Amino acid sequence: MATELPTSNGNGAHDGESNFAVKAGLARMLKGGVIMDVVNAEQARIAEEAGASAVMALERVPADIRANGGVARMSDPQMIKEIMEAVTIPVMAKARIGHFVECQILEAIGVDYIDESEVLTPADHIHHVEKHPFKVPFVCGCRNLGEALRRISEGAAMIRTKGEAGTGDVVEAVKHMRTVNSEIAKAANLSDMELRVLAKDIQAPYELLKETARLKRLPVVNFAAGGVATPADAALMMQLGCDGVFVGSGIFKSGDARKRAKAIVQAVTHYNDPLKLAEVSENLGEAMVGINCASMKEEDKYAKRGW
Amino acid sequence: MSAQTIVGVLALQGAFSEHIQLLRQAALLIDQTHGNGLVWRFIEVRTEKELDSCHALIIPGGESTTMSLVAVDSGLLEPLRQFVKVQRKPTWGTCAGLILLAESANRTKRGGQELIGGLDVRVNRNHFGRQTESFQAELDLPFLVSSHAVKNQANKPFRTVFIRAPIVEKILPHVVGIQDAEAERTDTVIAPSREIDTKLCRQGYDQEVEVLARLPKDAAKKRGKEAVQLAEPGGDIVAVRQGNVFGTSFHPELTQDSRIHVWWLEQVLEQSSQRTNR
Repeated sequence: MATELPTSNGNGAHDGESNFAVKAGLARMLKGGVIMDVVNAEQARIAEEAGASAVMALERVPADIRANGGVARMSDPQMIKEIMEAVTIPVMAKARIGHFVECQILEAIGVDYIDESEVLTPADHIHHVEKHPFKVPFVCGCRNLGEALRRISEGAAMIRTKGEAGTGDVVEAVKHMRTVNSEIAKAANLSDMELRVLAKDIQAPYELLKETARLKRLPVVNFAAGGVATPADAALMMQLGCDGVFVGSGIFKSGDARKRAKAIVQAVTHYNDPLKLAEVSENLGEAMVGINCASMKEEDKYAKRGW
Repeated sequence: MSAQTIVGVLALQGAFSEHIQLLRQAALLIDQTHGNGLVWRFIEVRTEKELDSCHALIIPGGESTTMSLVAVDSGLLEPLRQFVKVQRKPTWGTCAGLILLAESANRTKRGGQELIGGLDVRVNRNHFGRQTESFQAELDLPFLVSSHAVKNQANKPFRTVFIRAPIVEKILPHVVGIQDAEAERTDTVIAPSREIDTKLCRQGYDQEVEVLARLPKDAAKKRGKEAVQLAEPGGDIVAVRQGNVFGTSFHPELTQDSRIHVWWLEQVLEQSSQRTNR
């Protein structure tokens, strides 16, 4: 899916009062970059010095949410503000699926992007947040094309293909990226009439499906997220066609966070250069221990959350 | 003049693919007007070797902090300074690219950041604030009238997209060496000096900075509803040129409008033909 994202995105049908071009535009500025989960100002500074193109401010990284259990909610606004003070790169923060008041709060404190995230405990089992009316842009997760297009139609200006967050196992991220790619390849060969049927089957808006089929890629920026732990994992997701990479627990749960963060940033820029990838993969110390996704119970998987 | 003009887009991070698409679109327009079988190649630049092959370069929008750190780690920062300041090859920076091409910048990350330099200006990073302050505005760009291929459309306003955008806060005097006065300022980073190779560039490289476009004070509030007139005095400086180094604080790469790319490519052609060593 190495197809180009046309420059017109957001300058056409979607570009009403909600200023979609500006929202989707920031996602384009993050492309070819790494967005790192950080839990305090000190980690945010390490991420910034390593070359992160943005940070995701949250109280606990997914690996700890998994370990601690309980309800995971939006982070303390004070902690997010401290991170916003500490760095000059964009700061994202997570809200629970469907929790539009958490989103209002995050918008009020001025975060640059909201992640309506399955890593937190969902607040609504049927609805996602209606994202178009917000001034702040949203990124949402997907496992397949239908889910991605439903999120875009609700107003998401950026998509991430969900891996299994907090595991350090890249297998689910690969699976969902390959699913999206093969569904798009299939859609690209269909007539309009057949696309209408497919739109019904995958519960996606026809117009967005048609645009995706024409572009042969998602109509907004798409990052990989969940389970990326090494420079090679990051480059793998880039070669599969992702525009960039989120790294959650993979950095600050590893032995040498500074070095690994820098290495993953280099790997995303030079993802097609195996010699460079070999060079940056040397002597990184311990990777996060991780959980093998194959041994997980289905109900423990976060990626399933989202409707 | 060699048969082929190679224009690179720095592809360390950010919106590089968008620039390549608009360059291709612009080349078609130029070909229709000039019609003399120019051969263009537009390439992504990640290595010194790729940079060396280029006649001109665009530094795209993205995160300037990221780009400068990745440039250092990729061994590309010094070659970029050679390209822009020593060899003085035509370079255009948009948004983050403008920051990197400035000789002086403030409100950078703690500990500052590396700049390439090339434009004697001080840039205020994230002047408008955070993402919720990002906006679009229709802006008149009279400088387009000097283009052959798009001069007939030069009066049409340009849809400018400002995303966490910088502005040129101050035009600095052209000096030989570093910007001493700027170095004295707190929270301001400056670019190191590099001597121009006068064998490569014979003329016209000691020019002052020209202001090409300003954003009137109320433009941000209008949010793209109506065109704003450049004739109004004052307003934030959002496009500058000094010799063959050009910078814009907005993102022409986020539109379908290739007029600025056409205008710039025409200058690349003109300047390249004047060089002793292409």
